[in-house]
Amino acid sequence: MKSISLFEEKHSFLNGLSPETKLLYVVVAIAFPALVGGTVPQLAIMLLSIALLAGSKILTKSKPIIAVSGFVLLTVVIVQTFFRGGAYTELFRIGPLVARREGFDYSLGIVLNVFNIIFAFCVFVLATKPSDMMQSMVRRGISPRLGYVFVSLFQIIPQMTEHTSTITDAQRSRGMQTEGSLGTRVRAFLPLISPVIMSSFTDTRERSIALEVRGFNSHERKTFLDEFVPSSADRPVRIALLALLTLGVAFFVLRIVGVVSWPR
Amino acid sequence: MSKIDVRDLHFSYAKGPEVLKGLDFSLDGRSCALVGQNGAGKTTFVKLLKGLLRPSSGSILLDGRDIAGSSVPELARHVGLVFQNPNDQIFKNNVLDEVMFGPLQIGMGEGEARASALAALELVGLSGHEAVNPYDLGLSDRKMVSIAAILAMDTDVVIFDEPTIAQDHDGKERLARIVRDLSCQGKVVISILHDMDFVAQTFERVIAMAHGEVLLDADPRSVFSQRDVLERARLEQPTTAQLCHALGYEELFLSPQEFVDFYRSQHGSHA
Repeated sequence: MKSISLFEEKHSFLNGLSPETKLLYVVVAIAFPALVGGTVPQLAIMLLSIALLAGSKILTKSKPIIAVSGFVLLTVVIVQTFFRGGAYTELFRIGPLVARREGFDYSLGIVLNVFNIIFAFCVFVLATKPSDMMQSMVRRGISPRLGYVFVSLFQIIPQMTEHTSTITDAQRSRGMQTEGSLGTRVRAFLPLISPVIMSSFTDTRERSIALEVRGFNSHERKTFLDEFVPSSADRPVRIALLALLTLGVAFFVLRIVGVVSWPR
Repeated sequence: MSKIDVRDLHFSYAKGPEVLKGLDFSLDGRSCALVGQNGAGKTTFVKLLKGLLRPSSGSILLDGRDIAGSSVPELARHVGLVFQNPNDQIFKNNVLDEVMFGPLQIGMGEGEARASALAALELVGLSGHEAVNPYDLGLSDRKMVSIAAILAMDTDVVIFDEPTIAQDHDGKERLARIVRDLSCQGKVVISILHDMDFVAQTFERVIAMAHGEVLLDADPRSVFSQRDVLERARLEQPTTAQLCHALGYEELFLSPQEFVDFYRSQHGSHA
């Protein structure tokens, strides 16, 4: 079945880790540099994320995500470099615009931070199957209903897109103009959207009946058809991540009380 | 009488494999059933006829004019297509408005559209249901609403995609009558079908497709006599033909009545 999930099974190191471990990785990747401070930990973890993605052959899949956010970040760099307030050191000038070193440095900090977060999330999102994610959530006591909602989201959206295109074809086949001026498009809206909504209602009813006849609401303890078994690396990785997090917290506390300092 | 000429028609989706590999035939007043396994390219072909897809190469001529120059809404005046699932099109609150939507879109006046819609509803057996909400009807009747919606547009070409789905015996009989009626009016009638009994009893011509090519193209009797070719294309004969073949008869029977007549002529009417 089609899914909008970015996940792809590569039988890689990351695929073998449990969803919780990868989620923990995201937490550590964001928290550790924040606790320790400075750009070095941020840079190190970002490179680690990139290495993990490359090792699992999914680095290319993160390209579109990086491209979109990169464009937004570029505007941040431009705005900060040229318009940051306060005292400044001049880098260079373009006409009346002055490039300011302080603004540039500040924006680089933001860029690094955001890229670090994005790559960490890529490690999680690109290497985790939504249904495995749901399975581990349900195991941890989250209601199967919520789990179902979570997983079905990934399937319903492509289904609706496909359905909408069939409906568009059906209405155009009856002579309806769907392209052209704003007025034409507004007029086309109702004939296109009503069948989508009406069929989602019928689909939902049918789906709930189909789930119910397979005992969805049964209170018996359920087993999983396609059980996810993490690889042997899962446990050591999780321990290492927790250790790193503890280290970060310890460093943070020591820094607050003034025992250590990180060179900025 | 309208005519469609298909000339060396090729089609493939994006960079995928070729779905249609050079179709070459003409469609005329003889009602035509399009049969073939799922994935043979039937639906792709009718979408090309309707202009919803554009050929990779080759052309489709409607009454001598290449349809490549017309948009889908323009083509809607000449070619009507009944989609497989009626829920894909129904959006009005009552049956009459739904059936009148197409005629109004192609430029019929209000009065003409109403008359045409009422006539179409009569034809599909839904007279008296004009004010009903289509979604309060069962699937088979809703399918009839979607058929009426196309018939009311009075197009020269009428295409059905799997019209027999969800239809009981009466529904099929009615569909068969509609197909014959349209054909008598000189319209080009094309239907995608999997129900071989219905094909054998209703259509004048059968085109069997497999893997994007035309395998057989003739009258039902000739097509269904090619048991080996059909089997290779994973198509079955009408049930009477299958039964009689299994019983060891050499002759081909397309309907129970045909066999009964044959049997009686052999064994006398008391049998």
